[in-house]
Amino acid sequence: MRCGSNYSFYLSLHREFNERLAARVVLIRPEDLEISLKREDIRIRKMADDVAGEVHRMKAFVRLSSLSPNILYGFMKSRHRIGEHVCEHFARRNEGIIVVLGNGRESWICLCRDGRIWRERGSGLEESLGLLKSALNIEESGQDLAGAGLKRINLDRLWQAYYDSQYCPERKNLAAFNRRMPRRDQEAAGMRLVQNKRNASLDDFI
Amino acid sequence: MVTLEKMARLATECRFDCLGEGSVEAAEGLNSSAAEEAAGHPAARIAAGNMAEGLDQRKLATLGEGTRHDVCASTFSPRSRPLPGICHAFTQDGRCVSLFKTLYTNLCSHQCGYCSNSAGCKGKNQAFSYAPEELAAITLSLYRGNYIEGLFLSSGAGRDEERITEKMLDTVRLLRQKHSFSGYIHLKILPGSSESHIQEAMMLADRVSINLEAASASHMSEICSTKSYESDILQRQRYIHRFMTEMRSEVGQAVLPAGQTTQMVVGATGESDEEIFRRVIFEYDEIKVKRTYYSAFSPQRGTLLEGRQAQPVWRERRLYQMDWLYRIYRFRPSEIGYAFDDCGFLPNADPKLAIAREFLDLPLDPSTASYRQLLRVPGIGPKSARRIIARREKHPALSRRELAALGVQIKRASPFLKINGWTEGTLEMWQA
Repeated sequence: MRCGSNYSFYLSLHREFNERLAARVVLIRPEDLEISLKREDIRIRKMADDVAGEVHRMKAFVRLSSLSPNILYGFMKSRHRIGEHVCEHFARRNEGIIVVLGNGRESWICLCRDGRIWRERGSGLEESLGLLKSALNIEESGQDLAGAGLKRINLDRLWQAYYDSQYCPERKNLAAFNRRMPRRDQEAAGMRLVQNKRNASLDDFI
Repeated sequence: MVTLEKMARLATECRFDCLGEGSVEAAEGLNSSAAEEAAGHPAARIAAGNMAEGLDQRKLATLGEGTRHDVCASTFSPRSRPLPGICHAFTQDGRCVSLFKTLYTNLCSHQCGYCSNSAGCKGKNQAFSYAPEELAAITLSLYRGNYIEGLFLSSGAGRDEERITEKMLDTVRLLRQKHSFSGYIHLKILPGSSESHIQEAMMLADRVSINLEAASASHMSEICSTKSYESDILQRQRYIHRFMTEMRSEVGQAVLPAGQTTQMVVGATGESDEEIFRRVIFEYDEIKVKRTYYSAFSPQRGTLLEGRQAQPVWRERRLYQMDWLYRIYRFRPSEIGYAFDDCGFLPNADPKLAIAREFLDLPLDPSTASYRQLLRVPGIGPKSARRIIARREKHPALSRRELAALGVQIKRASPFLKINGWTEGTLEMWQA
């Protein structure tokens, strides 16, 4: 994934981004960076591409569940500081709905309404959802995380049935699959691994 | 500083979200639709969130499987903000799954020898069909859960293609108008659909397509006796092209922003790659299709062509390369013609290499060659050619290392390049 002309933005989201890099970024134009062969410029390019790649894969692989008609949430544990950016993407896609992304340590909350964006950061995902539940006066019964989790499992099952139907065994190409869907990113997005679903497992016989 | 309470209030005050009024009703139904559930209607149960219970998973799998040879992973539509296509998953064959690709029904009156949904197929056990509300509910749920970017809706012709087309349009209308669905929609036009249906499909979808399947009418009659190549397929493609031109000039808006596409089955009737290529050129030049997709023939159980040999997947890949050379690299058809062998087939090798061997007699100097000349060199694509030109404005002499860093596949390119006055000797040169 190439960051293109927006490289300074992606670079600023890199986990190793610092003031020295920020000063360097001001001096170099995107078109010059693309053809520069200086060691540091190549490193900057790689860093920005790495972030752009992770942003793209998180936008693709993070799955959202509905806690109530007003809240969607999903698990995400990224390597770079992209939480807010990805959360904003989902908020724009689901206007009028609060989107919460996060993991055990941190979470990002976004709402897009009439083209405006509201953002908030929180601690763990569970905690943020708890706070939102009380703010929205969502009762515990039937609206809790377990209930939402069940719906998510049902939707996952539906998706899995469809996903399996798309596979052509005569075209099997695991190398391409692994290249395009790295295990690391699947795990970062809290995805159930979809590989080898058509192969029989020990569970099938027990 | 925004608080969670304020965000909660804003979200509650929002009467409906981006998926429209209907989706709020459906979402509210997620919590309190016991009565609907009691009614036992699958669509009601789907709206109630009990997807796996409400829907026959065999139906979902069968109707999904019916489209697995249909190719179109693109989700780019200038209607929305131009973003790179997002692939939400990949199958184990490495192909992208970004759309909910399904048939409306697998019941079909056509007798296509390559298709497992055809009327004469002995391997087909059961016919399934969706209801428009049911299909719209599944699409919305998967879209909201970020499993898909949109819908790819195809269908068997049923007993009457007009009725099935109407049902397909009902589904898309529900999505677009009731639920304000802004995701990508690709609609297959069934052979023989009426002009008014085609026109409506074009207003609602981002992309429409009608499968060409064969390279000529005679090949078509060999694989399907019930479709007319000229009136059922080519005529419909011309309608689409005509409507698109008319509506763009009249309405002045982006009608069918992602254009029309087509797909061909490769090797079902022994047609050569050159025949396919000639048809493809016609499609791009006359019908103005955005893209042609290829699917290597693989015999399906119980079909009329079950006994025929499967085509290697590499044949499909070589055709895509040839297609790319024509569309993106702007090679002339006369140049591409050199990639075919005497029988009109593409060998299992890069067609660009065969063309370069024919046309590039002398090695090119990347420091002076034009963009068009650079594109003719194997291992140099549009991006690396542009970078070479930008780089040499400041640094005229380019070394091998620099070229590699600019994205040139140096191993493939170096036999055709003169780098800093040096040409790489090849065995072929010594033989000559």
